Amino acid sequence: MSDGGTTAGSGAEGRSGSIERREIPVSAVDYSPVAVMPDVKVVKIGGQSILDRGRAALFPILDEIVAARKLGIQVVILTGGGTRARHIYSIASELEMPTGIVATLGKYIPMQNARMVQMLLAKHGGIYILPDDFEKLPLYMQLGCIPVMSGMPPFGYWEKRDENSRIPPHRTDAGVFLSAEFLGSRRAIFIKDEDGLYTDDPKKDPGAQHIARITSSELVARGLPDVVVERKVIEYMPRAQWCKELQIINGLKPGNVLAALQGQDVGTIISAG
Amino acid sequence: MTKLVSGDGRTHISSQLMRESLQNKGVLAGTHSEQDLKIFPDVSLVSIGGHSIFDRGKAAILPLVDELVEIKADKTQKFVIGVGGGTRMRHTMAMAVDFGLPTGGMAQLVGAMEELNAILLNTLLAPHGSMPMQRDHFWDLPLYFDAGITPIAISVPPYHFWEPPPAEGHMPEHGSDFGLFQLAEVLGMKQIIFVKDEDGLYDCDPKQHADAKRFGVIALEDLKVPKENILDLELYDAFATAKNVKRVVIVNGLVRGQLAAALRGEDVGTVIYKRGNQ
Repeated sequence: MSDGGTTAGSGAEGRSGSIERREIPVSAVDYSPVAVMPDVKVVKIGGQSILDRGRAALFPILDEIVAARKLGIQVVILTGGGTRARHIYSIASELEMPTGIVATLGKYIPMQNARMVQMLLAKHGGIYILPDDFEKLPLYMQLGCIPVMSGMPPFGYWEKRDENSRIPPHRTDAGVFLSAEFLGSRRAIFIKDEDGLYTDDPKKDPGAQHIARITSSELVARGLPDVVVERKVIEYMPRAQWCKELQIINGLKPGNVLAALQGQDVGTIISAG
Repeated sequence: MTKLVSGDGRTHISSQLMRESLQNKGVLAGTHSEQDLKIFPDVSLVSIGGHSIFDRGKAAILPLVDELVEIKADKTQKFVIGVGGGTRMRHTMAMAVDFGLPTGGMAQLVGAMEELNAILLNTLLAPHGSMPMQRDHFWDLPLYFDAGITPIAISVPPYHFWEPPPAEGHMPEHGSDFGLFQLAEVLGMKQIIFVKDEDGLYDCDPKQHADAKRFGVIALEDLKVPKENILDLELYDAFATAKNVKRVVIVNGLVRGQLAAALRGEDVGTVIYKRGNQ
């Protein structure tokens, strides 16, 4: 206490950084991470790509998720936003709202979508969960439930601004990846309306080749003006402790969702590296 | 009138972003402009250090509370207070790292330690008009200011289980300095004042180096961010991209009058400004 402050430990690192890293005891320098719930499959149902298509697209996907759950596969569903999110983003941008306000507005649509999916899955054990409910997942999983939650991270007003954009950089793809990372899940599954990545837009170029596997750095190296998942996810992947793979599958093709939940390499796998 | 649009298997709402990929840089740029709406432009945010003030106990806390009471009596300054967590937070982190808890788990835990300081401060300030503010109850602020109540905000940002994997090490990057800065920025506040136990920001730790040099008034563009720093490094990145916050001020809470001067807009301690914002 010689400097008037009270210290918690000896300085293992020479400087203070974020959350004051200098006071960590030497014994803690070897960080051996513990996976929280590594068997849980974190699955995103896309907003614009699936939910806005209505029952024709959604119901067969839910059937496959229910089938997987009956096989004992633990699934948590996170939902995307879609066209209503685009509509509110568009109006809020016109009003020059700060990104933190736009992100807060953006929370509501994936939440509605999660509640819709919950109602549809209720008879099969679908339950709506909030961000803080990860602590109850062990119980829900043991009971055979299918937890459904919004994919939007809870950053809201605290969302950081992106260069040259008002749209929150962490949206529902980031929420899915970060959920998988927290839970210690190796692979996050994104159910969309395309088979993953192609060498070109398959809707415009029929000769475009499907890409089965690609690394995050190869994806960045392509310098595409558009990418299949949020840029933040690609940025974070190489630093991830657990979630080292993203799987992008076409949920409009029967069998893909169940295959992915069973661990098969359908669609495109993007791996950290 | 806005219409529902179908025909491609999906139901859309007609808007500038309809059918667009929100990953497309061109589309994103269409939402951009140089300025942001400023909601509370005459308000300052005052961040009181956990380690630097609260961990010193009564000797540091009570004189600062006296100063706050004096500033409040003047009724000219609108401000929101936030507090840091200090040594209990560092201890939490040390244990969490030892246990191997995930980064998001650490981020979920730390806020509780800051809350203790918020309760302490509110207990002392309440007789003079203060209230803890719920997480994002910003729309109560005009009421607080009209009534002469000083709100005490939650300083740790709600990244919680979703704390992104950090660029370096395993500990969360989004701490209370960043959280409070972000709060000031999104609400369009004019400045954020960090109350610490040093007369400002130095080029190295003044407690370790007798020859440490203090920055006076300096543009963020000219500031070489010191490695030994009393603020979260994340904060400087956030300030660099900020559109609303014009000044970040670091003052000594152990010296009577510095905080009051900073609230009046005077150049005291270290004042970091952005050239583009002048």
